[in-house]
Amino acid sequence: MNFYKNIIKADYLQRTRSYGFLITLLVSVYVANSFIPAYDSHYSTVRVSNFVGRNNSVWIGHVTAVMASTFLWLIGFYLVNDSIRRDKETGVGQIIATTSISNFAYLSAKALSNFCVLLTITFIIILMALGIYFFRGEGGNFDVIQFVLPYLLATIPSIFLVSVLAIVFEVTFGNRTNLLNVTFFFLFGIIIAKTNVGNNLALVYIDPLGIKYITNQMVEAVNTISLGNTNGFSAGYFFSDKQKKQYFDFQGSSWSIYYILSRIIWIAIGFGLLFITSKIFNRFDSKNIVLFKKKSPDFINPKIKTELKEIQLSELPKIKPHFALFPIIKTEFLMLIRKGPKWFWLINFGGMIALFLFPLKEAYQIGLPVLWFLQINRWADLSTKEKFFGTSNFIYSSFNPIKRLLTSQILAGFLLGIFLALPIVIRHLIEGNSIAVLAIIIGSLFLVSFASFTGIVSGGKRLFEILFFALTYAIVNGVSYVDYFGGFHQGYQYFSIMAVVLFLLFIISFSFRNHEIKNQ
Amino acid sequence: MKLEIKNISKQYTKSIFGLQDFSMVIENGILGLLGPNGAGKSTLMKIIASISNPTSGQILLDGVDIVKNPNQIRQILGYLPQDFGVYPNLNAYEFLEYIAAMKGIGGPNLKDRISKLLEGVNLIGAAKKPIGTYSGGMKQRVGIAQVLLNDPRILIFDEPTVGLDPEERVRFRNLISDLANHCIVILSSHIVSDIETIADKVAIIKNGQLISHGYQQDIIDTVKNKVYELEIDSNDFNSFKENHLILNTIRKKDKILVRYIGDEKLPDAMLCNATLEDSYLFQTKNK
Repeated sequence: MNFYKNIIKADYLQRTRSYGFLITLLVSVYVANSFIPAYDSHYSTVRVSNFVGRNNSVWIGHVTAVMASTFLWLIGFYLVNDSIRRDKETGVGQIIATTSISNFAYLSAKALSNFCVLLTITFIIILMALGIYFFRGEGGNFDVIQFVLPYLLATIPSIFLVSVLAIVFEVTFGNRTNLLNVTFFFLFGIIIAKTNVGNNLALVYIDPLGIKYITNQMVEAVNTISLGNTNGFSAGYFFSDKQKKQYFDFQGSSWSIYYILSRIIWIAIGFGLLFITSKIFNRFDSKNIVLFKKKSPDFINPKIKTELKEIQLSELPKIKPHFALFPIIKTEFLMLIRKGPKWFWLINFGGMIALFLFPLKEAYQIGLPVLWFLQINRWADLSTKEKFFGTSNFIYSSFNPIKRLLTSQILAGFLLGIFLALPIVIRHLIEGNSIAVLAIIIGSLFLVSFASFTGIVSGGKRLFEILFFALTYAIVNGVSYVDYFGGFHQGYQYFSIMAVVLFLLFIISFSFRNHEIKNQ
Repeated sequence: MKLEIKNISKQYTKSIFGLQDFSMVIENGILGLLGPNGAGKSTLMKIIASISNPTSGQILLDGVDIVKNPNQIRQILGYLPQDFGVYPNLNAYEFLEYIAAMKGIGGPNLKDRISKLLEGVNLIGAAKKPIGTYSGGMKQRVGIAQVLLNDPRILIFDEPTVGLDPEERVRFRNLISDLANHCIVILSSHIVSDIETIADKVAIIKNGQLISHGYQQDIIDTVKNKVYELEIDSNDFNSFKENHLILNTIRKKDKILVRYIGDEKLPDAMLCNATLEDSYLFQTKNK
């Protein structure tokens, strides 16, 4: 059992010592604080029809546990889904592969390490929930059982499952990270789609997040005090000044033995998934290694060795200074479009055709952000690939690298965004809606600048993946508050805000990169 | 061309220095940098290559401070870092075009120059294949080709022979000798024989400080008439090791042939010609 402890400890320390994890913790604190809105705030999170619970310990415990389950599925997966890939990239995987550790033991240890990372965030959320109770709560008795049980029964099994899923996806999809990200996005969408249980009580037991049982209890509590029989449950962030909230005292859930059993079964399913995955885990004997041996030009063409030449300095043609950005943009664009499997472009072209055919409003508000999201892998390492691929030393020692390279990268990424949005752009131009076209241009520029900014600030692509996922999920669910591409607003205020945001992103990105290079 | 390094320090924390008050003048020719791991060789090269800023000090290139004006050196620099990677989805030709654009060079002859360079590093046959399929040695040769894209006048090679086979190492040494006629070449290597064969001058660095700098022969002369070889009994080896600085050992049947440094000749010991490696080991272990 000692190896479990050692792998989990090493993996946990490696992740939590990163700058990205610190940022995630800070974001978690902010998000956890927003789970329970103040009475005078203009938004709500968990609501049954117009009813919202008073901020007693039971309501705070239930709501923060429900929101934590959702939040940690939403971002947790993207936070931890590089566990095996990192072992592969660092070469540690090949060392592990030569040890006696079984596939199941290795994958279980990795899943438990993922779980520990997410448990740390859960712990922070619980602390925030306690803080909310003491500083913004109603006071009264602190019901420890009703405060803790939602976490114990819903959140903790839920984050265990997402930790396992991250491992299952990594093993199944291997290097196809784009497909991995996109598949999870749709899986999450399906799982979370129906929070409203209604009469179909079986749904509460087949819910991996475990939140539907709790939300059903809230609905039942409201039905005992309201005249009508409501099923109108909603969870998320809802911004409205007009909707009146009615407050009720939520006394807690009755915890059925079937629900508790269902949560234990979900944990068992998690281990079962790990067991099945361990049968297909290749133990770092990747296809790349085989391909390399087969296709290495030295290997297939030994003649190269017999025709050795030397560089003749005097024969090298003279070159001229040429500071244009076009060749850099061209190559950056090439790298963007070559990323991922070639067949993925069939999906992209399919998406572009759909943007032509779907009703313009849906194509613009849903189709376009989803199609952009499919490119998450292309944009995520736009400004960090020098570090990842180890080219930074000779690229940063070239002429005026910060201004020329970062500008070219942003422009190349922007061109990709605009290319994918062409069907919508053309349709808007035909309609004479140049404002919408401008909004799409700004949206594309924002996405790419945001990818660069998050990459430079966090030093990796994970932060962008998490935020882009959350952003797209919110947009698809109609949260106009996070509209970055003018799908919901195209007024003067929108353009002013985006101009300021873009300006700040550029300034911070260039300053951070400058500082980073000088302090290598 | 003259590169003056004046009192350069690179401080990481209050007590950890990469370089400490380092000064040296480098002129056309080949300078070999020697030093144990963590001595500060790569830090010095990164600072000269303008990708790392010193905490204090100046580097003057023909009188111009390149810490303040890094583009001054970047236009004439060819740099091969110790650990570098490539973009696996580009082929060698596209990758070199990209680096050329980054270096701010072009013109009608660029394609021809890239072809000639790829031919010279024996990669022309694989030039159109993704670099992701290359072996370590082939990637190293792509690195060498990118160094020469811009007609550099200052060349910095950090452990350049890693991954090269013996034949390629010989060709690389010939190339450096050609370059040294009109350029400053700074070369670091753990393989002392690589430096010994081609460097005019040698600098030995330890703990971020310059402990020796000069013509190769002058460095070797520091251990002249001090290097001996002696065959000793295997059982006596440990006590011998405690009292002498051992440079090399060759195990024989019951004996060990020991190469060591000593101020006085021991009975049966044989005086040997000193090498750069002897001097390097003597200086890094003693100082």
